[in-house]
Amino acid sequence: MGKDGQNGGPGCTRRQFLKGGASLPLGLVMAGGLVSIPYLRRTGGGEFMLRPPGALEEKRFLGACLKCGKCARVCPYGSIRLAGPEAGVAIGTPVIIPRKEPCYLCPDLPCVTACPSGALDRGVQEVEKVRMGTAVIVDRANCLSLRGLRCEVCYRNCPLMDKAITIEPRHNERTGTHTIMEPVVHHDKCVGCGICEKTCVRERPVIVVQKSPPRQDDHYEF
Amino acid sequence: MALSRRDFLKASAAAAALAAATGGRLGVDDAEAAEGGLKWGKAPCRFCGTGCGVLVGVKDGKIVATKGDPAAPVNKGLNCIKGYFLSKVLSGKDRLTKPLIRKGNRMVEASWDEAMSLIASKFKESIAKHGPDSVAIFGSGQWTVFEGYAAAKLFKGGIGTNNIEPNARFCMASAVTGFMSTFNSDEPMGCYDDLDLGDTYFLWGANMAECHPVLFSRLIDNRLKNQKVKIIDFGTRHTRTSQMADMYIRFNPQTDLALLNGIAHIIVRDKLYDESFIRKHVVFKKGKTNIGYGLEDKFKFADDPKPMSFDEYREFLAPYTPEYVSRLSGVPVNTIEEVARLYADKKRKVNSLWTMGFNQHVRGTWVNNLVYNVHLLTGKICKPGENPMSLTGQPSACGTAREVGTFTHRLPADMVVTNEEHRKKAAEIWGVPVEKIPAKPTYHATEMFRALDRGDIKVLWVQVTNPFQSAPNLSRYRKGARKGGGRFIIVSDIYPTRSTELADVILPSASWVEKEGFFGNAERRGQQWFKMVDPPGEARNDLWQTIELAKRLGYGNLFPYRYVEKEIFEEYRKFTVGGKDLAPYEAYTRARGLRWPYVNGKETLWRYAEGYDPYVKAGEGVKFYKNKPTDGRAVIWARPYEPAAEVPDKQYPFWLCTGRVLEQWHTGTMTGRVPELKRAYGTAVCEMHPDDAKRLGIKQGGKVKLTSRRGSIVLTADLRGRGKAERGNVFVAFFDENKLINELCIDAYCPISGEPDYKKCAVKVEKA
Repeated sequence: MGKDGQNGGPGCTRRQFLKGGASLPLGLVMAGGLVSIPYLRRTGGGEFMLRPPGALEEKRFLGACLKCGKCARVCPYGSIRLAGPEAGVAIGTPVIIPRKEPCYLCPDLPCVTACPSGALDRGVQEVEKVRMGTAVIVDRANCLSLRGLRCEVCYRNCPLMDKAITIEPRHNERTGTHTIMEPVVHHDKCVGCGICEKTCVRERPVIVVQKSPPRQDDHYEF
Repeated sequence: MALSRRDFLKASAAAAALAAATGGRLGVDDAEAAEGGLKWGKAPCRFCGTGCGVLVGVKDGKIVATKGDPAAPVNKGLNCIKGYFLSKVLSGKDRLTKPLIRKGNRMVEASWDEAMSLIASKFKESIAKHGPDSVAIFGSGQWTVFEGYAAAKLFKGGIGTNNIEPNARFCMASAVTGFMSTFNSDEPMGCYDDLDLGDTYFLWGANMAECHPVLFSRLIDNRLKNQKVKIIDFGTRHTRTSQMADMYIRFNPQTDLALLNGIAHIIVRDKLYDESFIRKHVVFKKGKTNIGYGLEDKFKFADDPKPMSFDEYREFLAPYTPEYVSRLSGVPVNTIEEVARLYADKKRKVNSLWTMGFNQHVRGTWVNNLVYNVHLLTGKICKPGENPMSLTGQPSACGTAREVGTFTHRLPADMVVTNEEHRKKAAEIWGVPVEKIPAKPTYHATEMFRALDRGDIKVLWVQVTNPFQSAPNLSRYRKGARKGGGRFIIVSDIYPTRSTELADVILPSASWVEKEGFFGNAERRGQQWFKMVDPPGEARNDLWQTIELAKRLGYGNLFPYRYVEKEIFEEYRKFTVGGKDLAPYEAYTRARGLRWPYVNGKETLWRYAEGYDPYVKAGEGVKFYKNKPTDGRAVIWARPYEPAAEVPDKQYPFWLCTGRVLEQWHTGTMTGRVPELKRAYGTAVCEMHPDDAKRLGIKQGGKVKLTSRRGSIVLTADLRGRGKAERGNVFVAFFDENKLINELCIDAYCPISGEPDYKKCAVKVEKA
């Protein structure tokens, strides 16, 4: 997995952080440094911060999170980072920046187990129940699959392939003899892990994780 | 990429307009687009055997863009994700730009003259001391036609050894021996148009969705347009292809032999065959059985074909009852019956497509024969939309390895060294005494690396391929290469690889549009391109390298060319007249590829078929005219089921299968230089069934250790990936240079084709 997050770029290096004189527990710093908020959701997500699996609703999460960094420390992929001073009140809270390292959905969810405060809800035991956010193809014009190329990298890397993302084939009018293999995200299944966003081959990902839209219940079952 | 998409579209419109104005001739010098000094040239894609056409945008001597060629019939402007990144493949940071010579453990920069002098002296020394069969060249299905032809001419006609083999021996030799034994002519009767025209497609050991992405897109489009279309995927692993198929039929590894005989059994039992087709166009034969696996060094096999009658063939099929085949294969009896009926349905246009599942098989030739049997019994062959078709994995496995004949036993255009007439013809065109061409084949690929290990081959030149990652039972051959004792390895490549690390001399090569080239794809389509940019640093064309060695060995007179590429092609074309009939070179410079035989200015879409193939006379309908010994008939072969070379047991209870993924190509030396592709699929993982993983205490993302009798490896377990391993099976892709899975593979091969079985060996699986 790419470690490009460590080479320059936005975010807060350990050194800058120490120079800035912030006084967070050492454990936080050890856990992988802080990241700056403006970078988090440049593409269309507003102020959405992608939290680790099991995170409570954002307001409640901010209230509950102790900023202890334990979730970040146990993450085997270094996917969980701690927000930098730019996050204001959310400084030191855990965030995931998919393009650097997404959540790989460990089957035993060690981050959830490690959370002492319940900010990451222990009731979330199964990967399929996780709801961190929802992937959305935000730039259809630049999606290679939608242009008829055989890409579908997001689909083949989706840990819930054929459930959270499926391929909907349709006729390619331009060539007349090929198929456009359209990746379609299913909001009821997508857990928001960000692997699709990470692996998108475009310079700026055309599929990104955004805040899940609120549930709107009615009585239809289809 | 420097261009915006808008610039790109504008420029390509200009290029298209120009192409129309110049009659389509698209060398980069000719296709001068109006804008910003950007020029576009045409070339086939550098990767698989599909042969997609691309346009290459060049500015200030650099490739600035590539895109699918809208005028190319194969892909009509589309590419897969590898093709999309073609322009980045040549510009990795670690391109080799200077010849390197080993000094102890270091590789030291040298001049071309030093490097070539050293190579020539090693060749001369070895030939003088140990004879011409002590030197060898291992080439590629990625050789251009010119490169393969020059190498064959130098080694067979100059040095006087049959020590020339392509990596295509590892990937499609069984398809060749299948075609030769059934039709006495290599390469398919059908073409890609069959993907649009048929309605029933059986895929055998072919993950088209990932390995032939653009062709799969075409096949699926056929189904979108026509509700009748059915795609049936036979496999031992549930792939992205299985996911989109109408039917996925899981079978136990190796039992494809039994299944195809079972299908034939039902067709014969229920008289579903085409009696008149069989009477006119088919003979029956049987060969040797219990033919071995080539595990011992210097293994030799020669088949002994005997004619048989239809009744005898019926008797041969008798044991393959649906019940027996079901027990062996794990496929339900009803499914076997259903599939046989689909194959025989007179209202259906039936195609079979296959790739490495068939070819990399210890009975690869047999299983190719068996699928032809079914098509020949039902007469579903040589018709538009109705053909068996072997798909290929390299851009010129057909064009170069097979058609030019860069195998130990072959000469150009399906000729063989064992035939005196063939040797005479080759010697005449090459202008060498016929005695020069040895009448006996030497080593096929696996045996070539065994000979190097034993020390029978001393000097080995590797061009355009990476055998020290791709050979089976890899540890033995990697060690063999560095045993010393006068062994000397030369590797020509564009990047450092697992093969260059074993070399005594590394030569920096030009690649793709850094040279003029010609590839032949899987549907007999030859495609030419011009040189568009200079190679970096001092890198040079492999063709130049081969001819330079020839000069230094005193065979410069074999290559008296000025416009080398064109003159080589025209010389090679003489071999093809009256058979494979390639078009004049000039015609390829204008066309987006032409399918041979090219006669009277026309390409051939369907071979052996009246109205399409110029060699089939009016009234003949279908004529397998290449098979002169059987009076123009194809052969139905009685080939039994025989087990794999190594079968899972108590100690090694799992099957290991290896293969490819869409994002990476072969040993990853090119695609591995594209950061986007690495990010999309960067590391080989071990696909396994969740139930097996649970039993062994292995979790998703956890470490797993695979061990075979030949090696072991630790990988990350993937239980939810793109391929779903069946119970008792694991799958690992072979592209990853840091995970040499081929160290575990067995070097058993098909005794007829010499192609190793990378799809089946036994391994132990443990939590690591």
